[in-house]
Amino acid sequence: MTATTAPVLAARDVSMVFGGLTALAEVSLELHEGQILGLIGPNGAGKTTFFNCLTGLYTPTKGSVTLRGDRLPSDPARVTVAGVARTFQNIRLFPSMTALENVLVGRHARMTQGPIASLFHGPAYRRGEADARRRSLELLEFVGLRGLDDELARNLPYGDQRRLEIARALATDPAVLLLDEPTAGMNPQETEAARQLIFAIRDTGVAVVVIEHDTKFIFSLCDHVSVLVQGRLLVQGTPEVVRGDPRVIEAYLGKPPEEVEAEVRQYAEEAAHSTGTAGTADPADSAEDLDTEGGSR
Amino acid sequence: MTIPPGWPILGLGLLYIAIAVAVVLALRLLWQRSAKALADKPGMLRPIAIAGGVLAVLAALLPWVTFRFNDGPYPDLATLQFFDEPWGVTGFRLFVLLLGVVAIAAPFLPVPARRVERAIGLGLIALGLVNTIFPLISGGGFGAITAADGAFAFGGVATLVAGWVVATSAKAGPLEPLPHWNPKVPRLLAYAVLVVSYVVLLLVVAWMLDAGTDPDGNTNTYAGPIFLSLLSFLGAALGALHAFGFLGWLTALSERHRVFSIGVLVVCALALPFTDAGTDYWMTIAVNVGVYAATAIGLNIVVGLAGLLDLGYIAFLGIGAYIAANFSGAAASALHVELPFVLVAVIAAIVAGIFGAIVGSPTLRVRGDYLAIVTLAFGEIFRKAAQFNIGGMTGGANAIPNIPPINWFGRDFSAPLTIGSVRLPSGVLYYVLIMVLVALVMVIFANLKNSRIGRAWIAVREDEDAARAMGIKTGQVKILAFLIGAMLAGLAGAVFAHKTSTVAYNSFQFIESVTLLAAVILGGMGSIPGAVLGAALLLVLPEKLRDLQDWRLFFFGLALVVIMRFRPQGLMPDRHRRAELADEGADGVPIEELNVPDAPDGSTAQAVAR
Amino acid sequence: MATLLQQLASGLVLGALIALIALGYTMVYGIIQLINFAHGEVFMVSIFAAAATYKWFIPESWENTWQIALPCMLVGAVLVAVVLAVLMERFAYRPLRNAPRLAPLITALGVSQMLKEIVRLNYPDAKSAINVPRAFIDEPIIITVPGGTVVLQATSVLLIAVSIVGAVILQLYVSRSRMGRAMRATAQDPDTAKLMGVNPNRTIVFTFALGGLLAAVAGVLYGIHLNTVDTEVGFLYGIFAFTAAVLGGVGSIKGAVIGGFIIGVVKTLGGQLLPGGTGYDVVWVFILLILVLVFRPQGLFGEPERVRA
Repeated sequence: MTATTAPVLAARDVSMVFGGLTALAEVSLELHEGQILGLIGPNGAGKTTFFNCLTGLYTPTKGSVTLRGDRLPSDPARVTVAGVARTFQNIRLFPSMTALENVLVGRHARMTQGPIASLFHGPAYRRGEADARRRSLELLEFVGLRGLDDELARNLPYGDQRRLEIARALATDPAVLLLDEPTAGMNPQETEAARQLIFAIRDTGVAVVVIEHDTKFIFSLCDHVSVLVQGRLLVQGTPEVVRGDPRVIEAYLGKPPEEVEAEVRQYAEEAAHSTGTAGTADPADSAEDLDTEGGSR
Repeated sequence: MTIPPGWPILGLGLLYIAIAVAVVLALRLLWQRSAKALADKPGMLRPIAIAGGVLAVLAALLPWVTFRFNDGPYPDLATLQFFDEPWGVTGFRLFVLLLGVVAIAAPFLPVPARRVERAIGLGLIALGLVNTIFPLISGGGFGAITAADGAFAFGGVATLVAGWVVATSAKAGPLEPLPHWNPKVPRLLAYAVLVVSYVVLLLVVAWMLDAGTDPDGNTNTYAGPIFLSLLSFLGAALGALHAFGFLGWLTALSERHRVFSIGVLVVCALALPFTDAGTDYWMTIAVNVGVYAATAIGLNIVVGLAGLLDLGYIAFLGIGAYIAANFSGAAASALHVELPFVLVAVIAAIVAGIFGAIVGSPTLRVRGDYLAIVTLAFGEIFRKAAQFNIGGMTGGANAIPNIPPINWFGRDFSAPLTIGSVRLPSGVLYYVLIMVLVALVMVIFANLKNSRIGRAWIAVREDEDAARAMGIKTGQVKILAFLIGAMLAGLAGAVFAHKTSTVAYNSFQFIESVTLLAAVILGGMGSIPGAVLGAALLLVLPEKLRDLQDWRLFFFGLALVVIMRFRPQGLMPDRHRRAELADEGADGVPIEELNVPDAPDGSTAQAVAR
Repeated sequence: MATLLQQLASGLVLGALIALIALGYTMVYGIIQLINFAHGEVFMVSIFAAAATYKWFIPESWENTWQIALPCMLVGAVLVAVVLAVLMERFAYRPLRNAPRLAPLITALGVSQMLKEIVRLNYPDAKSAINVPRAFIDEPIIITVPGGTVVLQATSVLLIAVSIVGAVILQLYVSRSRMGRAMRATAQDPDTAKLMGVNPNRTIVFTFALGGLLAAVAGVLYGIHLNTVDTEVGFLYGIFAFTAAVLGGVGSIKGAVIGGFIIGVVKTLGGQLLPGGTGYDVVWVFILLILVLVFRPQGLFGEPERVRA
């Protein structure tokens, strides 16, 4: 991805101070069309705080966030309407709604029926409702939850809940999708499936930002990686650049560089292998490979 | 120094409590032991059930309480069959007999016998308790269960034991799964089943309302126990029907043929005045039930869908009522204007809606339980304002009396109505009006619930932050819930004003808000039929149980506590809420979910219908 | 001037009473985030318990010696209130600790209704107001001020003194003692507290008991001060006390006391000075409550709630 095109999402000098405690210090980021950007950093580095600044949950103390050049409002609902969707680190579905209804709630901002129309259920209302339903079912199928539309969200297995959350976010027709630890608590098969899903999302033209602890996952997924340490942007660049940077290895990974290098290279190879055959590969196959190196969490 | 009089009473009280606790613990232990001992002996079902059933049949024929009541206002009506001669089997003894026969027969029939036995056992226990405790209390202690000739009256005790034994038989081996009947039946058959079921429902409701009333319409002194006996019997019957899978099937059928079943239900509701329950008295109660039901459905939008607790909701009913009173042309009203009722109702709804939006506006900043307190404060402010006649609009402590009845096309709504040769009770037109209103409110609720707005409400209830992240403007959505809910209450208030003909501030106390909330919670939060059922129960039960009327408010409180503890999803739960609140164990598979695998294409169809 | 001071004095007395009840609200809310609606009823029941103790449980020869009668009433009221509070926690609230948040609030509403009705239907003549004996020094204290005199009942002085001393003791207890630390730890984070060896159940029961004790003290003082009680006071004073707790900042002991005094003064002076007269005095309290909740929900001494993400 070239840096010459105008960025979709740009954060400039975003700082966040909580009662004298600086959680973020002048973080700048650019996200381009069709890019997958990884945000890594140790616990408490400010990754989620940064996400909250991007999505309007927090108003940055300083700095600005723009979407296609327009400054984003500091209200989560309006940020979503503007085209930035997110998932949550600890899954926050609507547990006692069905999968389909969860996605339909995601369509909320793109539907226009007001209270009066909702009261009378006229022809225009029904058409809009049917469209939303069709789109939602498509999305469920897209994330791999086909046939589970009538299942209550709380009854879905953990991995499916993560997918459902992504489908719900995609239902808002976002230009940018922010994923907060999308593979937390997943087993290797599920992680790999999530990776493929994120590639598929990228291919539909949505730019993606991913927060992860799992560096191997990030390095095999992203075009561009930024490292946050103690609220500051330490390094950013392509995965190769970042993972070779001694500061990252020292500050974040806390392991001798060679060891990390080896692990990452091995993972990347395996990933490349399974990506190449993703269409037909037996997921258990690659999972087995991953298992041999002891899992990531 | 003499001992003050409090100490002996306290000692005695503590002794009674200790005895009661000991008895309860002993029974519990016995129950657990027998359940454990029987768990792996499914073969014991038949012998135990037969023993219990035979005992129940015998109990029905034994002498019951033989103490004679003749101190009531109608001694000749004192016909609760405590003192029937042996072998004369009517009333509750007939119920005991029937349940006993079914208990014997069930293990030999192709039905889930353990579920049936469980329902029957509990019904028998309830029947025994009602008909033993009542004479103990009203008949002067233990003497009441001693026959006139000194012999002990065994009937009640035998029934209790029989109920216990029958219920125990259900513990022999594991409970059967709930049978599932295929709801895909020919349309005509489905229609026939629905019509018959709803007509039976109507007759049962009329029977219940009429229980303990003599042909002249006078209430029997023992109406309370007669009613409770009927209720116990019907409860057992309903439990047995559920065990068969019939109720689940019926629910699925009415879900599949929604429009038809709503139509039948409305016709049945309108037919109530033609039954035995079609008296002036019951029409008044029924109109009150309608008013409360419409208001409770409005409250259900706020509490059940949007998850915002409103503790001052009665104020909106009050606002509607005062508006209607002031535009009714009543002498005491401030405006001395008389507008047509439909217009008045619209004004009442709009004004109440505006106040609803005002009361709801703190939701923009106030969360959860703090909001409940804000609404409570608004409710109390309303009541004080009404009490001190704010703006001369409420009549203050004098209220606004003599509100004329609604008059359409020269027909006075409070007069009796004669169709052909049938004379219908007075108030029947109000009844029709309020039924139409309730039906309208139900449609509004159902449409909203299944819309973009309804989903937004539920999303806000489930997780407000996530809802906001989905682009829902939560503040607007919540205020909208208050606005619409209040409008419905205002509408109901307009009818209320005309029906009662007096609007006084003390009709709108805090306890009324609690009553409405209790109706919603009893029926099931978010459930439409639940709110109606809740309102009906809370208004009809006190009428039937005059002996306990003083304890009405106590039982409201108890109902709130017990329901929250043991059945938070309410009596007729909404599907979402059921999932959220109920801990569906082995014996509680949700009825609807049983229907899902049956319809391959039905999964989406069902979702659309919902 | 004298009238104003007199009003101010009665406002402060009312405030002291409210403060004592508010402490129970604030502690329980602080620890399990439950608006214990029934706390006002515990207060109400304790007044009846005090009256009953005096009437039926102490020999006549003691009745006129307040040094004996008053402690007896206090013991009776405290016993009843603490047992009630503990039973309530055990059987009504504890089973719902992980239920949706509205469930315990609705339960609290139900418990409150039940308590009120049990007393109303079972205490002799409680369907209307009953008398509570004057069990304390009868002579009023008369203070001369410019333009007249201010009359203070002995019980008024006692009330204000008890509420301030009580709050100070409580503050010291919560900040110094082992149990106080456990309470604060449980309020902050029950799971971590558990890991640190704090028994959350015992701590919560203790908090309820402490609240009940304070409500009983308030109840006895209310009884001997006003000499009459009906079953409605629980609801009304419960709301006042809750308002005070919120005004001061839920969880803050200092806040509850100051909030209580503010509410007392607002109600008394509002009824005198604002339009509408005494009939509307309650309304001013409710308006204050709404304004506080909307504009400063964290109260005067509370900390703002951080947004979760």
